[in-house]
Amino acid sequence: MQTTPATPDTDLQADNLRRAAIDKSVKGPVLFLFTNGAFWLMLSTVLGVLAAIKLVEPEFLGNCPYITYGRLQPAHINALVYGWGVQAALGVMLWVMARRSGQELKGGKSLLITAGVFWNITITFGIVAVLMGKSTSIEWLEMPKFVWPVLLACFLCYAWPIARMFGRAFRPEGFMVSTWYILGACFWFPWIFITANVALHCLPGLGAIGAGIDAWYIHAVILLFFVPVGVGAAYYFIPKITGQPIASAQLASAGFWSLAVLGGWTGMQKYMGGPLPAWMSSVGACAGVLLLIPVGLVGLNHHLTTIGKHSAVATSPTLRFIFFGALFYPVSGLVLALNSAFWTGANLQFTQSWYAFQTVSVYGFFSMCVFGAIYYIVPRLSGCEWLSVRLIRNHFWFSVYGIGTIVIMSLVAGWQQGADLNNPEHWDQTFMNHVINSRPYVVSRAVAWALISFSNCMFLLHLLLMVAGLGRRSSAPTLLEHDHDDHALPNEAHA
Amino acid sequence: MTNFRTFILGLAASFGLPWLCLIVLPAMQYEQLTPVAYDKDKDGVEGYFPPAPVNGQGQLVYIREGCNQCHTQMIRPVQLGLDGWYKGWGQDQEARPAAPARPSVLRDYLGEKYALLGIQRVGPDLANFGWRAKDKAAIYQHLYSPRSVHDWSTMPAYTGLFKLQKIQGPVSEHAVKLPKKFAPPAGYEIVPTPEAERLAEYLLSLKKDYPVPGQSAAVAAAPAKK
Repeated sequence: MQTTPATPDTDLQADNLRRAAIDKSVKGPVLFLFTNGAFWLMLSTVLGVLAAIKLVEPEFLGNCPYITYGRLQPAHINALVYGWGVQAALGVMLWVMARRSGQELKGGKSLLITAGVFWNITITFGIVAVLMGKSTSIEWLEMPKFVWPVLLACFLCYAWPIARMFGRAFRPEGFMVSTWYILGACFWFPWIFITANVALHCLPGLGAIGAGIDAWYIHAVILLFFVPVGVGAAYYFIPKITGQPIASAQLASAGFWSLAVLGGWTGMQKYMGGPLPAWMSSVGACAGVLLLIPVGLVGLNHHLTTIGKHSAVATSPTLRFIFFGALFYPVSGLVLALNSAFWTGANLQFTQSWYAFQTVSVYGFFSMCVFGAIYYIVPRLSGCEWLSVRLIRNHFWFSVYGIGTIVIMSLVAGWQQGADLNNPEHWDQTFMNHVINSRPYVVSRAVAWALISFSNCMFLLHLLLMVAGLGRRSSAPTLLEHDHDDHALPNEAHA
Repeated sequence: MTNFRTFILGLAASFGLPWLCLIVLPAMQYEQLTPVAYDKDKDGVEGYFPPAPVNGQGQLVYIREGCNQCHTQMIRPVQLGLDGWYKGWGQDQEARPAAPARPSVLRDYLGEKYALLGIQRVGPDLANFGWRAKDKAAIYQHLYSPRSVHDWSTMPAYTGLFKLQKIQGPVSEHAVKLPKKFAPPAGYEIVPTPEAERLAEYLLSLKKDYPVPGQSAAVAAAPAKK
């Protein structure tokens, strides 16, 4: 990515007009996706609290069959992944791609809104069905069969215009790393999604291979959809707000292609030592550890881009969220490597560390980057500025501490569970020690989700006020600290 | 990377290779997989491996309730985890089994639409639960009121799978037997619904440690106790 070269005033004005036109063209669909996504996010965190409580005290709220842990947990994860994750990702992808390729969304806006409406209705039906007892028990694909073709069609309605924008864009500089990631996400997601659904819902039954394909699906969606969108957003906003070009084109390119090459190989190590052919889980384990390379390259590049601009992290809400999101990226790579390598993975297998990986990658990394993006995008679409610094600050701190707690606690709990299972003292015992030892970790998870869902209620409210046009009328963006006005932030100039 | 077509080709190639090797080819190969016959001389058993499929109707209840969130069905080899030695996780129900339960293999799940290998081990592994379960009555008690079995249990009570009814005539022979503290009010009994019966049949059919043909492990061919 290159910064805009110094331009005369008239050019700047023309540029701003062009940006405003692009923003206007994508306003409807993007705001629709963000608000609905924020609603699902709040709901999923509430379900997360309930599921964690049910894991410790199954008689909480009575023995109602609709809210047993076996149904709540999939509802919680599906709301997080499809309700919030994919939906918010599509909004960010559409906006960043339109801006970065300098293309307006031409027509089809009503189709996009319709697709968004269908996406939400289908997920509502799907999650209610899981709670009513129609779950398929295929992890991350628990919603019943009828859900998936609709979701695919809706996704493609968005992916097509995004890919077209990339294709039409005039790129004299030729190097636009954020759009590579976003195009990759557009391209890979339907492929992964169709493969997993055909294999698990249409073929006559793949037995243990099916379980392997499901584990692969989860890793592929995380690594080839959520990670590219998060990294793409980080590559777009970090230079934009710090005003420095991306440190190294070589690092960016290597980070992208090594992710593309390795991302599809990993996943089956979830069932290491299981009934799958041994080479499949071994390959997955190797790729899981080798993925530290793209993670490290991207992390280094982001670090080099932010150097010397750390005051902007304190001031700009967008940069603050994205900075911490980008910090969680190496953490999620590390958790993946720990879960994958045989010598640690054998201990962590089938424990809460699996939950740690899912939450750190989908929430800690991806969602934090998307929050940052939302704090930047929404004021430009709604024409007003964020109302309250305090709400943003609360959202940030609750998210960081909450998700940090969940990840650390789940990892430690995973270690404890694995150690308990392999402890010779326990072999001839009942499962009492495991159950009692893992209890405090799950309690802390419940508390952390409760704090997060509180901050998400505030976030949803804040977002709804913005969408309703009730934000601050001001030409200055809402910043977290006001005493740094001596050096005007570049994002003001960039509009 | 200005060329759109080259870029898309790069994306397709980098992802297509693992997709082909890890998903498509193994899935095609798996479709060819059939039960193998035992060799009477070498294995000491007759018939086919795997000998009996699990109870599919009951598995649907297991799937619906999301049991695999907390229960795995997969025994790992001893060099990776110590599952095989765990009390009651194999055919030998002794606290110190003479030999570890054998690790799960691909054919153990033949005929299942989706192998429920599990997500977490909040509760014990169920791969060979059929050997561990005493009878249906014990399973009913555990499903209806897990805390009447272990007061520390975090398993949900699946009361929805049972019916509380007034005793008319003699007490039903299927009625769930519960300790006094958990028993229904006098004059009432708790009977399993058909779903609970099928789930219990499925759980009893979980015996995934039949000897593997050609594996001369003496352990694998140990005589069945039931």
